[in-house]
Amino acid sequence: MRTTGKVVRHRALPARPNLTATRRRTLTLIGCVLALAAPVIVGSAVLVGRRVEVDAGESTWIVPHRIDLTGATADPDTPPSRLRIAQLGVDTPLESLVMDGSGVLQSPKVYGEAGWFATGTLPGDPGPAVLAGHVDSKTGPAVFYRLHELKPGDTVDVRRGDGWLTSRVTASEHYSKAQFPTAKVYGPTPVPELRLITCGGTFDQSRHSYRDNLVVYAVLT
Amino acid sequence: MFAAPQRRRLAALAAAALLGLGLTVVEASPAAAAGVGYVRLAHLSPDTPAVDVYLSSVSGAIPQQKFDAVGYGTVSKYLPLPPGTYAVAMRKKGDPASATPVLSTQATVEEGKAYTVAGTGKFADLGLRVIADDLGLPESGKAKVRVIQASVKEPVLDVAVAGGSKIADGVQFATTTSYQTVDPGRWTLRLTQPGATGSPTTVTAPLKAGAVYSLIILDGQAGLTAQLRTDAESGGVPQGGVDTGGGGTAGGRGMSPLLPIGGGVALVVLAVAGGLLRRRSRVRATAA
Repeated sequence: MRTTGKVVRHRALPARPNLTATRRRTLTLIGCVLALAAPVIVGSAVLVGRRVEVDAGESTWIVPHRIDLTGATADPDTPPSRLRIAQLGVDTPLESLVMDGSGVLQSPKVYGEAGWFATGTLPGDPGPAVLAGHVDSKTGPAVFYRLHELKPGDTVDVRRGDGWLTSRVTASEHYSKAQFPTAKVYGPTPVPELRLITCGGTFDQSRHSYRDNLVVYAVLT
Repeated sequence: MFAAPQRRRLAALAAAALLGLGLTVVEASPAAAAGVGYVRLAHLSPDTPAVDVYLSSVSGAIPQQKFDAVGYGTVSKYLPLPPGTYAVAMRKKGDPASATPVLSTQATVEEGKAYTVAGTGKFADLGLRVIADDLGLPESGKAKVRVIQASVKEPVLDVAVAGGSKIADGVQFATTTSYQTVDPGRWTLRLTQPGATGSPTTVTAPLKAGAVYSLIILDGQAGLTAQLRTDAESGGVPQGGVDTGGGGTAGGRGMSPLLPIGGGVALVVLAVAGGLLRRRSRVRATAA
């Protein structure tokens, strides 16, 4: 199959005449390195050929008969730390939220703080990152009390690592919890997105919970 | 070869033209989204030179976007776009925006749906096609993947999971297989030229649960090359909504949580009233 020029060059090197001491030393060094590297070069040429970076996380390997692809390179797992919605005066740390045994997303422990679904998509990564916050406490408004005021075009900022990630609101929708569109809210998306979720509708005194959810959709700018 | 940053920029911005995808133009099933649809562009026509691609909204919803010097094998990321109709035009690299396009087409973007706008076929009969992509949620714990065949050197391929099930036979240049549901993890695909005596090409790719992929087969300098595109990703999928309220404002002023209550109450009242009226009129009709 394919041979590489590298191997040929390597054989030609020692034959070069009339070298100065420095050049000879340099070439000897190169020769040694190449000699040591030769099996690796040959081996990789045979096995995988040349590697070409195509896109972060979407590398392509060029090879006649074996193609090895790597998946998306995981970002360093820097969790989001704060959520800021300037328009609503919201500036809150983010709790880690998990699912309970039956797969239901747990709400933040603190009424005044929002939380992010920590085993889901990280804000800024492709996919729907889920942020939830209470609309009220037992006594008064909570962190997402005014979430319904967000309109398409408004912006939401999430702090992750040293930077703020700005997302633009694309929709705000209201669902009965009994008919919550799980696939639409949590299903895969091609780009980094946010789902800001709180409660709405009537309060069911017997279940101590609201009957509806408000979901604000946003896309990373 | 392309410098990595250049490729990355191109990819990030978007590209042009790709394949026929004729095999499976499935109705797009809605991706997880509201308020936007998604479009990506690709250039998978091996003998077509690099082109500049223009994307503009017919209604002026977004400023015109231009993607420079998009070459074979470039597949853009999806652009989230407001629903509406968009014009896609390919011009020769470096031509002014006023020049007559080599190719142009229109695509109507529906909310929550995803499309690949692709230059199809070889240069001689190059066309632009709009392919509906299926980014719907895979079965729980599974991944979805399809193969896009854009190699001219090996224009017909049999595609099978190594040591496993057949995906499709005779996948022709400029077509695509349908999305297959597969187990996540390292996944190896075997590509064979029907009737060829040589060893098959195998492609190994890592797939994550909850994600949707396109594996794009291209001509390499020698043999084939491949790209794995993550069409869409999701993290975990919780069940249903979230309980996020203590009810402290439920009896209060007419603020957010209350509006729907008011609406709901009004609806109930109307429904009951409507029912009563209709009943009364029916009773009256019977009596008469």
